[in-house]
Amino acid sequence: MTTKPYTDPDIGKTPQQLFAERNTRVLNALQLKQPDRIPVQLFMSYMLPDMYGVTHQEVQENKDKELELLEKAGAYFQPDIIWGVLNNPYVGTTLALKDVTTKFPGHSGLSPHGSYQFVEDEYMKPEEYDDFIDDPADWAIRKYWPRVFKELEGLSMLPPLGMAAFGTYGISNISFLKIPPIAAAFEALARAADTQAAMDARTQETVGKMISLGFAPPPIAGALVEAPFDLIADLLRGMKNMMLDLRRRPEKILAGVEKVLKFELEYAIAFCKATGLNVTFIPLHRGSDGFMSLPQFEKFYWPTLKTLMLRLIDAGITPVCFYEGTWDQRLKYLAELPKGKTAGWFQSSDIFKVKEVLGDTMCIMGGMRNTLIQAGSPEDVRKFTIELCRKVGKGGGFIMTTTVGEMEGCKPELVKVWVDTTKEYGVYA
Amino acid sequence: MNDKLVSLMSDLMEDETMALVKDLIKQGTDPMSILDDARRAMEVVGKRFEKCEYFIPDLMMAGEILKGISDIVKPLITGGQAAAKKGKVLIGTVAGDIHDIGKDIVTFMLDVSGYDVLDIGIDVPVPTFVQKVKEFGPAVVGLSGFLTLAFDSMKKTVEALDEAGLRKNIKIMIGGGQMDDEIKKYVKADAYGKDAVAAVSLCKEWLGA
Repeated sequence: MTTKPYTDPDIGKTPQQLFAERNTRVLNALQLKQPDRIPVQLFMSYMLPDMYGVTHQEVQENKDKELELLEKAGAYFQPDIIWGVLNNPYVGTTLALKDVTTKFPGHSGLSPHGSYQFVEDEYMKPEEYDDFIDDPADWAIRKYWPRVFKELEGLSMLPPLGMAAFGTYGISNISFLKIPPIAAAFEALARAADTQAAMDARTQETVGKMISLGFAPPPIAGALVEAPFDLIADLLRGMKNMMLDLRRRPEKILAGVEKVLKFELEYAIAFCKATGLNVTFIPLHRGSDGFMSLPQFEKFYWPTLKTLMLRLIDAGITPVCFYEGTWDQRLKYLAELPKGKTAGWFQSSDIFKVKEVLGDTMCIMGGMRNTLIQAGSPEDVRKFTIELCRKVGKGGGFIMTTTVGEMEGCKPELVKVWVDTTKEYGVYA
Repeated sequence: MNDKLVSLMSDLMEDETMALVKDLIKQGTDPMSILDDARRAMEVVGKRFEKCEYFIPDLMMAGEILKGISDIVKPLITGGQAAAKKGKVLIGTVAGDIHDIGKDIVTFMLDVSGYDVLDIGIDVPVPTFVQKVKEFGPAVVGLSGFLTLAFDSMKKTVEALDEAGLRKNIKIMIGGGQMDDEIKKYVKADAYGKDAVAAVSLCKEWLGA
């Protein structure tokens, strides 16, 4: 039997037609329906500048150049969704605040060809837990921000924020805002806000342009929060200290995560209401297999994460969790989530087991290992893609994408094989 | 051998372990025997980790306790008493990557297992890896990396070691969250380890227990 050579089904369609089909395809997959075929998402990150001989710094900072390359890559690969570099945080805003927690290409000792890194450290000392738990906002504004944003050091001179409750009897002190370091901090905040607002507008233009070219927007676009345990571990204590805290001061963790849950929930609901984006993206880090025992997971990590997701669902918002690392031993907990109300992006979990356990609970995102489309052969990529389409794509509710969000290092020729094979074999009869 | 010390430490009872060590020192216990008991406890910890009774936080806590004991005991050990080392291992995080936690766990696990370990830090440029390997003369080189950019950095590091004529005399192991067989072949390493205990097992296999 002769095999028909593959022809891209998207060739010859108008951008309007492509957008309508792709958007519907993605929405159907998210709603656990069976679309016409499996949607494929490319979150290209630094693969984009690497393909076209441009520095990482340039795509991070020159959004016109990034868009130009995105259009080229989109035309070449013809996926359903395509996105460039991670822009949260935006490099301009971090520079405006002199953020010590981030390193971007071309800054902080990284070459223009370097890659974004988060600099984890012990930004909250153990003796500060009580202040954080008692009043997270006061601690964050008067202690944490001055520590991590050098332009905001003056905020450490602010009076306790609770004094705002003193109302008219407190405003005789309001001239503290004119103390030079405090005034300078507020000026820096204003500059950062202007920088970010300009980038927000620019991002909207890019989204609009890609839609006009026929690409669906990424399903993770929305509010960004973390599991309450992860916020404290990632941003405040650092992974190592948080892990030691599990034994040294467990009661502090338990109190801390409840406080984080409260303000994260209020924030995410307000963000979604203001923007009309009914998604909250939750990348998950420290609760994966191997990072804590199941009893620890049940005590410290899962309760507030589950509550966060359930309350978001009650508010009409779809939590999209990136289950980083391996979650094979934790799938039974995810099976407790309301059916069809969340989506899960899986990194190193056994994706076939994920489909078996969670296939009727949530839209599954993932499948293609970055290592395979970096170091594998075209035959292996094609074979594995077909297996993913048949087993993980069965019945719908699957968005094909990479297991690691960012595609830096992936080989264009292998990505082409992957995308084309998905479009050829991911068709539902 | 002090069973109580081994038991307390392998059960990760930090305060009780340190209190016992201080008592033992006061009683004139040989500091080397305390370190030996600490090593035995780390072996128990390693085995519990392999059996999935212990997890990464437990390795971290064991490392903290070990460091606490070492800080007290090592200054009391005179030169002649230091145990002979089993072999040299050089470890570092490759160029472009600043992740270090996994590497640090491997470093103390190898150190307590009796290997002479040189940790050359993070974001190590290729030429520095070559230079340090020339200077230190390890039998095993561990390349650590977490980001996807680490794959190409590891590949270039291995190629540079080969060009410098050093590759043939060393075993190279790679480690980090995303390592797998594909990357091991791509990088041309001898093995990959999925966790710190695997790194120790590889060194035991290559250098002897």
